[in-house]
Amino acid sequence: MASALEHVSWETCLIEPRSDRALEAYARRKVGVPFLSLRYFASVPWLARAVVDLHPELGLLMHLDQSVADLLTLVVSQENSCRFCYAVMRMLLRAQGMSDARIERMEQHLSRAGDLPPRTAAAIAFGRSQSRVGPGAARDARRALRHAGFSDDEMKEIGFVVASTDFLNRIHTIPAIPSRPVERMPDRLHMRLLGPLLNYIVQKHRFRGRATPLERAPLYPYARLVRAYAGSPIAPALGQAIEEMWASPVLSRRSKLLMLAVIARGLGCEVCALEIGEALQREGLDASALAQILTHLDAPELDDTERLLVRFARETIWYEPAVLQRRARALSARLTGPQLVEAAGVASLANGLCRLGAMVLEHA
Amino acid sequence: MTWTAALVVALVIIAVLAGALWRQRHYQERLKAQLKAATADLEQLQNACSRLAPAGVVQRLVADGIALDDAPGAERKVVTAMFVDLVGFTAMTERLEPALLVRVLNGYYQRVSDAIEEHRGQVGSFVGDGIVAYFGAIQPNPWQCDDAVRAALAMRAAIRAYNGELEREGLPPLAIGVGIDRGPGLAGLMGSRARREYAFIGRAVNLAARLQGLTRIHQVDILVTEALRAELDAGFVLVPMPAEPVKGFAEPIVTYAVRGRSEPHQDRGQ
Repeated sequence: MASALEHVSWETCLIEPRSDRALEAYARRKVGVPFLSLRYFASVPWLARAVVDLHPELGLLMHLDQSVADLLTLVVSQENSCRFCYAVMRMLLRAQGMSDARIERMEQHLSRAGDLPPRTAAAIAFGRSQSRVGPGAARDARRALRHAGFSDDEMKEIGFVVASTDFLNRIHTIPAIPSRPVERMPDRLHMRLLGPLLNYIVQKHRFRGRATPLERAPLYPYARLVRAYAGSPIAPALGQAIEEMWASPVLSRRSKLLMLAVIARGLGCEVCALEIGEALQREGLDASALAQILTHLDAPELDDTERLLVRFARETIWYEPAVLQRRARALSARLTGPQLVEAAGVASLANGLCRLGAMVLEHA
Repeated sequence: MTWTAALVVALVIIAVLAGALWRQRHYQERLKAQLKAATADLEQLQNACSRLAPAGVVQRLVADGIALDDAPGAERKVVTAMFVDLVGFTAMTERLEPALLVRVLNGYYQRVSDAIEEHRGQVGSFVGDGIVAYFGAIQPNPWQCDDAVRAALAMRAAIRAYNGELEREGLPPLAIGVGIDRGPGLAGLMGSRARREYAFIGRAVNLAARLQGLTRIHQVDILVTEALRAELDAGFVLVPMPAEPVKGFAEPIVTYAVRGRSEPHQDRGQ
């Protein structure tokens, strides 16, 4: 049966899959089954690892109920029109033994928040507001979460689930990772037969997080965000992804900072913009040049690649999948394969981090 | 005899069960087909609605299952408003057959709408041969002024290319007038119970419409206000026009004609 997103236009994939046994083995150890999209990100190792490590159900949540987190992932993926992520969620629900009819009833329930328990409805409303309005709606959404009885720790984990889903949705949407095979998979005979086994393996690899000390204070931009999660397993996972992103040599550090700055500006996340602005000034970009870039997405100080990336970054904030994918295709003609993958990764992570920053840092 | 009777009874039971199963399956397939048809109808309806209001608005209403009567009210926003109109349209209506006129007009609407959407604007409504568009109305857009002027320049290029096609068919060329202003107002679904449309209400829309009228007086195609100029990238080449009195505004309005992009900016691929 058709999923709710099968009408969403989806371009042909922009990147060639590449096998990397070490990465695939790493993902299989963590998830228990082959990670379907990993080969597309193998040319940028930090991104491939982040796509695996930032899954909340793999030991990152200590306080939030996993079922609420699963619903949030489903709703945000639907909101972001990510056909791939949504198809994976549906496949897992089918493997859990849910019928198509039951999944459809659940989708209908999700779209009518009035039928849901107040806590679940508040969490879903938060996920929707972050996808649609971004940080501008964070304050009201936080108030609603608190009113529904969520603790500070639960609220931070809700913020993380939404941010990681925003990241995962974008990284699968921008390069148009093929969704059709995953959408068809639940109806295949072998999947029907192996569904319970798949579910057993996946469930066995899901686990609750345990208190994890942040061993060293991070120094890179977004360090405040990581420190805000100190004590939670989210902090080291997020810290490692961000640190490895900065260390990656595919795109320059300045290019990545500029992309993050544009996304922070587009989302109106002042706390993120401040931290990234300081980092860019340390990279030698003066305040007036940065103001010019952020106001007009152009300045003589930008080189050709930076100019392309700055303009592309803004496309990833609010988008229609097919339009975003066409713009990414235009970008692919001007960048190398790994550069395109890293650009998609940086933009995706930045969108998640800026939404998280508004939730956690302003809250802190 | 007993065995034969038992076999017959068993066969009858199997036949009845098989018949019931077959009927159940048939019934399920019919329901599935009906559901598929209903889904297709709804999708078609959603597509049709997307032509009446910006797609983002329709998608939200559908996703949230909101009845139009319960749709959220207008929000206060700073938006860039654009008004596009055909110069000499009345004369054209007298010269062309209605069917041909509609075809030429549809080509114009399509090209102008494409330029607006390509630059992240939303077509608000078609008013005769005029088009009202907004930038930054549905989602926050800090680059809305640059986007609007880039869209206007893209329209100029698109209409020039369209004129080449019209000329080959022996049809008269089109000319557009574009007015752009930026300012605060209310954006959202508005109208009566029976009919609503996505609209922006504010001084900027009125002034954009007036500026579009001023393009005839100044003999230019794109005019922007002082408020918009202040937000624009320095790479746009603007020429100040003499202040003109405008209906509904106490002071004469200073406007700027947009010539294009300066050469270094064109070299940078803009």
